[in-house]
Amino acid sequence: MSPRIRPPAPHWPSVRGRALADAGPLLLAAAVVAVVTLLAGAVPPLLAATADDAVRDAVRRAGEDADVLVHAELQRDDGPYGGRLRTPRLAEEVDDLRERVVDEIGPAMRAALRPPVASVSSPVLRVTDGSVLRTLQLVYLAADPRAGGGPRVTWVAGGPPGPSAAGAADPDREVPYDGPPWPVQVGLSEADAAALGVRPGDRIPLKDEEKRDKDVRVSGIFRAADVAEQAWRPVPWLLRPVPGVDGTGTTRLGALLSRDSLPDARLAFEQQDTQRTVRFSPDPGRLTTGLATSITANVVNLKAESGSSGDFTGPPRWQTRLDAVLRDAGTQIAAGYAQASVLLAGVLAAAVLVLLLAADLLVRRRGPALAAARRRGAGLPDLGSELLLESTAVTLAAAAAGFLVAGLVAPGVAWGWAVPVVLAAVAAGPGFGTLAAARATGDRRVPANRSARRWNLRTAQLRRGALEAAVLVAAVAALVALRQRGILPPGGGGDPAAAAVPAAAGSGTDGGTLPASAPALGVLAGALVLLRLLPAGTGLALRRSLRSRRPLAVFGAARAAATSARALPLLVMVTGTALATFALTLAATAERGLADGAWRTVGADARLDALRADAAATAALARRIGAAPGVRLAVAGQVTDGARVAAAGSVIVSPRLVVVDAAAYRELLATTPLPDAPDLARLGAPAAGGVPVLVRSGDGGMRPGMRMELRRDGGAPAIPLAAVGDAPAVDGADDVVLVDAAALAAAGLPVAANTVWATGPGAARAVAANAAGADAVSRENVLRARRDAPLTAGLLRLARAAAVVLSLLGLLGLVVGAAASAPERWRTLTRLRTLGLRPRDARWVAAGELLPAVLAAAVAGPLLGLLFARLTLGPLALRLLTGQPADPVLVPPWWPLAVVAAALPVAVAVLVPAESALRRRRRMSEVLRAGEG
Amino acid sequence: MSAGPAAGPLVSVRGVHRTYGTGAATVHALRDVSFDLTPGTMVALVGRSGSGKTTLLNVIGGLDRPDAGTVRVDGVEVTALDEDGLARLRRERVSYVFQTFGLIPVLSAAENVGAPLRLARMPAAERERRVGLLLELVGLAGHAEQRPGELSGGQQQRVAIARALAASPRLLIADEPTGQLDAETGLSVMALLRGVVESEGVTALVSTHDPTMIALADRVIRIRDGRLDGQEAP
Repeated sequence: MSPRIRPPAPHWPSVRGRALADAGPLLLAAAVVAVVTLLAGAVPPLLAATADDAVRDAVRRAGEDADVLVHAELQRDDGPYGGRLRTPRLAEEVDDLRERVVDEIGPAMRAALRPPVASVSSPVLRVTDGSVLRTLQLVYLAADPRAGGGPRVTWVAGGPPGPSAAGAADPDREVPYDGPPWPVQVGLSEADAAALGVRPGDRIPLKDEEKRDKDVRVSGIFRAADVAEQAWRPVPWLLRPVPGVDGTGTTRLGALLSRDSLPDARLAFEQQDTQRTVRFSPDPGRLTTGLATSITANVVNLKAESGSSGDFTGPPRWQTRLDAVLRDAGTQIAAGYAQASVLLAGVLAAAVLVLLLAADLLVRRRGPALAAARRRGAGLPDLGSELLLESTAVTLAAAAAGFLVAGLVAPGVAWGWAVPVVLAAVAAGPGFGTLAAARATGDRRVPANRSARRWNLRTAQLRRGALEAAVLVAAVAALVALRQRGILPPGGGGDPAAAAVPAAAGSGTDGGTLPASAPALGVLAGALVLLRLLPAGTGLALRRSLRSRRPLAVFGAARAAATSARALPLLVMVTGTALATFALTLAATAERGLADGAWRTVGADARLDALRADAAATAALARRIGAAPGVRLAVAGQVTDGARVAAAGSVIVSPRLVVVDAAAYRELLATTPLPDAPDLARLGAPAAGGVPVLVRSGDGGMRPGMRMELRRDGGAPAIPLAAVGDAPAVDGADDVVLVDAAALAAAGLPVAANTVWATGPGAARAVAANAAGADAVSRENVLRARRDAPLTAGLLRLARAAAVVLSLLGLLGLVVGAAASAPERWRTLTRLRTLGLRPRDARWVAAGELLPAVLAAAVAGPLLGLLFARLTLGPLALRLLTGQPADPVLVPPWWPLAVVAAALPVAVAVLVPAESALRRRRRMSEVLRAGEG
Repeated sequence: MSAGPAAGPLVSVRGVHRTYGTGAATVHALRDVSFDLTPGTMVALVGRSGSGKTTLLNVIGGLDRPDAGTVRVDGVEVTALDEDGLARLRRERVSYVFQTFGLIPVLSAAENVGAPLRLARMPAAERERRVGLLLELVGLAGHAEQRPGELSGGQQQRVAIARALAASPRLLIADEPTGQLDAETGLSVMALLRGVVESEGVTALVSTHDPTMIALADRVIRIRDGRLDGQEAP
């Protein structure tokens, strides 16, 4: 007859009794589970929300770059008699295009884009009133009638542009191709009219590029009903003169066309010179990562099917950088998730180790009770089920509390990350307990003969070695995977939603769980190596102390040697401190990267841009700023983006042309943390073959030693340049040609300074006070904006929170490990007291037992953290968050690291007296009697 | 601590009471216990489990304090000593042997024996000489470098006895020293104790159940339910 298998039968009074007796350790485990589930449950949805914010932020920052433009030529207006036909219903053609493209964009784009504005714009004309270079553009705007139409204006003088007299007389008139300038009526804003000094009825003196006169008359002067209206955004010159749009020193103005004057404007220019454009601006508030993915796909399709703008009959041409902006945001989100995953993996690893340690503490406390239960006849399945019921109840209650709070903090709690912690908490206690109960009453005895004992020892060592080797192999594999593949998902993680899904679901990064675990596994492997070394170290310390005359050193070292092989406390302490160090280093490196990036972007503490090209005024302004309190140095210069430089093989490149006083600029660099540019000294000496310049090129198109030419507009002769050295990255530009102002002036091109850089604590204030219409850029503001960007701010907050949690887990490892070993320690100390050890000396011996592992963790933990930060921060792609061209240099935060390292020894200094005070309540006889048990 | 050996009894116990717990759960471990021990004798303390043997040993050795009564050891009133005084008493006059040996596992037998001498800050050369003598006395001269885990139970108890004798105590208190040993080993340990009492002139107070062990004592003190139940020669 086969034996009957009965299901486990828990003994409920035992379950209750054990739980009440060990309420402390159980509550501790519950607290760890609750905190970690809170973190693991809240971080993914917070990240997902941050990802949505990041997408919105990216689109907001991209500004007009994120607009979707649809260009289409107007229909040809060739008439039957060899001339051009006036098209009185031309505005309807524009409306048709707007309606058509609204139909073409998909529902995702429609949901995220604002109602479109259709426009027709003329070529840029020159105002020929003899003043400084001013330009004017005629623009017709037609917003979507469903969004209120517009733009809305109030005519403060005159009235809206109407048809020309000829057009009104014969709306369908055919005019010869080479006839006189066709008259057009336009409206002007008050500011533009004032700038031009014209009134209704006046003709604006204009010529086109071919120097042909244009007959443009002012019908009225308007005031915008709402200057913030979307329609105005891409054409601000319709509202006020805008400097710099058409090159340094120019000012653009705008003239508004109406539905009635649009047909005349068409005839005033060549057929191909007027173009219909429909502009959609994204509404950042409506964007989510999910929507961003659909939009990216949609835009890519539309661009693929896009026609040529020169084609009158083909499909319209789609033009936007929205897909690139969203793809970049997706890459940033993927990087942010990956970095967060690494931090979370570290917290989870440390938490699991702490839970194993807490289970070990429980089992040590319960060892005698479990053995007694076995001797009374309790089966292992019964005991196991009792322990499982207890751990499941405690863990699930704690996890539920953690998730509940996580849900309140961040709706949409994720479960995935918490699973390992919950499993460890449920299984560790019953596993260890059942094993202890089995060993307590098992038949396994220490073999009598030495070879059998040696065999047992080797088997145990082999088992431990295999486990350690497995961790080591996993750590190496993770590290190799991380360094080879990087943390980003294949393809760079450009899909925002794809990047968001894994973390939001709490299932790690799409780049792979293994690479994300590299720092945690690496630190764990390092801790295992330390665990191997510690017994040798404590043995050595014991041997040295035996030669000393200090008895306390001997007893302390003896206790340390006896307990140095205990794995879990050391693993928790080392892992906690190392990963806290890693998190702090990540945060500090990102912070420094942000600061460096801000320096690189501004080039000084503050900068004034887009000054009027008046060299004398700018120089005076620079002197005024330089004299302001708190300003160390102010330097004026000319910065022109998109200069035309013919490099090797007459390839035209468009670098940033920077014209400065080389000596002053070098002095300026010396007052900043920006790298020095020693080659600036070479600009003073004449160079063979041209004006000496320094060059910097992202793609190597310009190199020192090359002969180049600076091309000029208006048929002026090109200026030969000789590249004599490497240029610094001025204000973050990758392609730079830097030339000394005096040398360029000597070559025939006077400097028109438009930029002032200033350094010193008062620079931002001084620059802002002297802005007077120019753009003041403050390094502090740039830094603040980048630091407050959703992903960056989120990651920095997470890194700091993780560092705190990890440090606390490391301290918890010390406290729980000390609690687990306390009975044995104080029994030994009590025995030593029977030999004459004084109570206060017992505390020193206790500290001597705990300190070696603590000091090892305090030293090795931060070192391991720094090592793995050094090995892994590169592949973590922090540059994507800091806005730097290369990965930021590792920055160890020494003071916080000192605090992390000192926390453990300080905790020992608190723990030992506290433990001693608790133990002194028990009489020595009680301790010794308990020990007999 | 009043110093100096006194003439007369080495140990003088007078009217010692010791109770545990309160109210209905009160346990009277010792009730009005009084006796004297003569120097250089081996005294067996006999009684059933729970009779108060260990409590009496702890009170005499200063590991526990009586609720009433006095204990004097070698002229020192143990019950009036503070923690430092008790530590000095244990370092200089009273030593213990426990049922579970109480050795430090990572130290060799010689280092375990030398532990009290380190606490007494004895110079290294003198300490080593004394340790050698003691290990020879307990028959473990050849096991000096072995650790407790490499020794049998009987050998470990011998090391514990050597350690107890290291500081040349006046009183050696042994609580069930053979409790974890087989009969033959236990007997040899008791014989060893008997021998050191004679050779070192120490007074030994040994609690035991074993009649064979009792036979080796100079005197037997019986205790029952916390009260003395007679004193007699074995």
